[in-house]
Amino acid sequence: MFYDLLNFLGSLHPLVVHLPIGFVLLTMIFEFFANSKSIIQNRMISLGWLFTFISSLMASLFGWFLGDNGYYFESQIDIHRWSGILFVVVCFLVWVYKSLNLPTNIFLSRFRNVVVIILLTVTGHYGGSMTHGEDYLTENLPEIIKEKLGDDYEEINTISSRSIDSLFVYEDLIHPFLEDKCMACHNDENTSGGLNMTVFELLVKGGENETGISKGNAYKSSIFNRVVMSQGNEKFMPPTGIPLSFDQTKILEWWIEEGAKLEQPITSFREDAKIQKLLLHLYKVDIREKPFLETLVLENLSENDLIYLENENFEFRFLSNKNAVLDLKFMGENITKENLKSLDKIKEHVVWLSIIDSNLSDDEMTYLSNLKNLTRLKIQKNFISNKGVVFLEGLDNLSELNLYGTRITDASFEVFSKMKGLKKLFLWKTRVTKKGVAKFAAQYPNIEVMVGY
Amino acid sequence: MNCNHDHSDKNYSRRDFLTKTSLGLGALSLGSLMSPTDAYGNSNFLNLLDSNKQKLPHFAPKAKRVIYLFQSGAPSQLDLFDYKPKLNEMFGQEVPKSIIGEQRLTGMSAGQNSFPMAGSLFNFKQHGNSGAWMSDLMPHTAKIVDELCFIKSMHTDAINHDPAMTLIQTGSQLPGRPSIGSWLSYGLGSDNKNLPEFVVLVTKEKYGQPLYSRLWGNGFLPSEHQGVQFRAGKDAVLYLDNPPGVSSNVREEQLKSLNKLQKIQHADIGDPEILARMSQYEMAFRMQTSVPEVMDFSDEPEYIFDLYGKDSKTPGTFAANCLMARKLAEKDVKFIQLYHQGWDMHGGLPKSIGAQSRDVDQATAGLIKDLKQRGLLEDTLVIWGGEFGRTNYSQGLLKPDNYGRDHHPRCFTIFMAGAGIKKGITLGATDEFGYNITERPVHVHDFQATLMHLLGIDHEKLTFKFQGRRYRLTDVSGNVVNEILS
Repeated sequence: MFYDLLNFLGSLHPLVVHLPIGFVLLTMIFEFFANSKSIIQNRMISLGWLFTFISSLMASLFGWFLGDNGYYFESQIDIHRWSGILFVVVCFLVWVYKSLNLPTNIFLSRFRNVVVIILLTVTGHYGGSMTHGEDYLTENLPEIIKEKLGDDYEEINTISSRSIDSLFVYEDLIHPFLEDKCMACHNDENTSGGLNMTVFELLVKGGENETGISKGNAYKSSIFNRVVMSQGNEKFMPPTGIPLSFDQTKILEWWIEEGAKLEQPITSFREDAKIQKLLLHLYKVDIREKPFLETLVLENLSENDLIYLENENFEFRFLSNKNAVLDLKFMGENITKENLKSLDKIKEHVVWLSIIDSNLSDDEMTYLSNLKNLTRLKIQKNFISNKGVVFLEGLDNLSELNLYGTRITDASFEVFSKMKGLKKLFLWKTRVTKKGVAKFAAQYPNIEVMVGY
Repeated sequence: MNCNHDHSDKNYSRRDFLTKTSLGLGALSLGSLMSPTDAYGNSNFLNLLDSNKQKLPHFAPKAKRVIYLFQSGAPSQLDLFDYKPKLNEMFGQEVPKSIIGEQRLTGMSAGQNSFPMAGSLFNFKQHGNSGAWMSDLMPHTAKIVDELCFIKSMHTDAINHDPAMTLIQTGSQLPGRPSIGSWLSYGLGSDNKNLPEFVVLVTKEKYGQPLYSRLWGNGFLPSEHQGVQFRAGKDAVLYLDNPPGVSSNVREEQLKSLNKLQKIQHADIGDPEILARMSQYEMAFRMQTSVPEVMDFSDEPEYIFDLYGKDSKTPGTFAANCLMARKLAEKDVKFIQLYHQGWDMHGGLPKSIGAQSRDVDQATAGLIKDLKQRGLLEDTLVIWGGEFGRTNYSQGLLKPDNYGRDHHPRCFTIFMAGAGIKKGITLGATDEFGYNITERPVHVHDFQATLMHLLGIDHEKLTFKFQGRRYRLTDVSGNVVNEILS
């Protein structure tokens, strides 16, 4: 009964605290404009300080009750509590001083007022942080100012800047928000409800009466259950502050449903479109498999390199605005060794290359063997035979090879079979036989061979 | 674009100065800092005015070029692709009120007392491994359905030909916007030096709904981005040849002198359209040799003509234009637009659709096969379709062997093949009466957004500022249809 009353009074603290703020500010303003020789005015001022003292005493008492109900930690309350009490004491002293009508100095009293206002600000700020969250001051600022102040999401961005292959669901996605929201009460020293969340095994085990994580069943795991139940329920966690966001609870649910493995890489959930979207939204992490072109890390090309290419009769086009990957096309009718040598400078940048109907010979094919990042090669209608094709053997990224109108025969299939990335092969109007194609197609069903209609 | 006409006595207006110094030069230097592709690519002063262009392509493209086989007049999806046995079952009965609801009909059939359902008189079968439904009107195309992606749930806003065609070609029902090909030419520039980026081929001696050159117009984009029509016959491109008695050398001299004059003019009034005109003169001069080359079919072997059908030997037919489209694709023309008129069958549909389908069937299939064997289908997108669909009820009197179909914007079918498109799939569906869409509607703007996406363009980012605001092909709508992307 008595505790209930204290709790009730404690809950009035956020209401009552505004009273002394109003009193003290009004008193100071009054003091500023007052005639120091007027006795009545001086009495009014001293009365103002008395009201401030009484109301702040009430507020701090209520605050003490509120702080005692266990929803806050000492570390959180400390500064707020003691600066509040200091404020009460200062107000009391000022009132005593004033009511005794002791001699005063204008500078001293101004200085005193500044100190009081600083105390008020500090107390108010820490109080506000507790009730409204630590970023209550900045969260509703216009975006432009926010950006200037430095993004709040820097921590999240450190995740998005890392390679997605190195990210783990628990360590990188879940642990940070559990640490933020739960671990202040559930740690090595402070195991509220018998739960220590800082150690993974203990987190799984749970508290006194509940299982922390029941692998594969989110609703039987108190870690999840407690954060999604009705917020009115007294078992709801966290008891104060801002609850977990919808996205955070979804990630938690998904991870537990999937078996709550400590070392679950986030890439193992590429197939799940919902989670994909969620990660992109919440962490700016795109777990979709990247096309080969986007995985390349290339140096930018200089203008000279490109002019050189153009002079050697290659027309170029960039395939991305982020990466200097090139689509090259030979424009002349007769390609020479000099032309081909220009490829060496940009050998990593070329991913698509067309040298069509340009008298490319077997010997000249050697210049293509260094183009490791080629994915598409169109060298149809040239005088190429099996001898030239051998130079392509090491092009592991090549997925599309167009050799129609060349002189290659079935012997080249051996080279094709060694090309790891090959998916499409165009061999119309070559000397390969139907039998050879059929045999190759049976052996490598994933490679599409086109020989015409 | 003639920004200086109201103050031609001044070299630069305040506005010109600000535009050209801040956006022009500023964008140039900023662009080269931000992206590897910029400063060198297409250092045409004009293009730099719009800094959005600096970042193209926005991502790696799947397609390098597009062949759009536009079927003008709106082919009947109910007789070609969208199989509705219910309509045959209920042949002659009224379309249920709940199906049409309060939807608007054209003035041509809205006054009819009766809306009798007309089941197709043509046989439908499933084809290929994908089991796509097609009627026997297009037997050659039916053989390659496993290469195709059908969208049966296309819909449009317009109910008549002109606005519907303008919408699907330019993104707006009102004339004046740039055509798809113009946007691509503007955004991606040229892949070949001797031919335009955007070529238009119209089947000759076909009639029906009129075609207007504004369908391939550049709208407010600089005029070098307009489609260039290649015609069958002697003058493939009008006024391209030198006048009688003027030799090529003389012509070159003339153009050089003209160029000097135009440069002086441009330095004086700074109208960017002068630059456009200069680049068109140059292109025309180069086309004097490149166009006859591409129009010449004498190198094509007999079996290629067989592939496209016997019409392909007659210049100006759809088949010959398909063959030409392949040749242009080989030369890296970016956007090749074919138009084939005559699909607008309000009456006597069963009689006329046979010949109309024969015009396009073998050539379409032949083109896709030919592109495929040359490896061109890997980076070429082929599109076949009209501007809207046709009604499930008969316009005019329904007879057991005769019916007509009115305009129907609520659903129609198109198909695509090639670069970046899933093969052998069908997206979307209509109700059992073939009237409303029941599954995955695809608006014309969604289709355009997808087309741009395949070419490496984010349709929301390629914009052009005109009359105070930025325009894009899809204007304020459009979503990429991810389901059909491979």
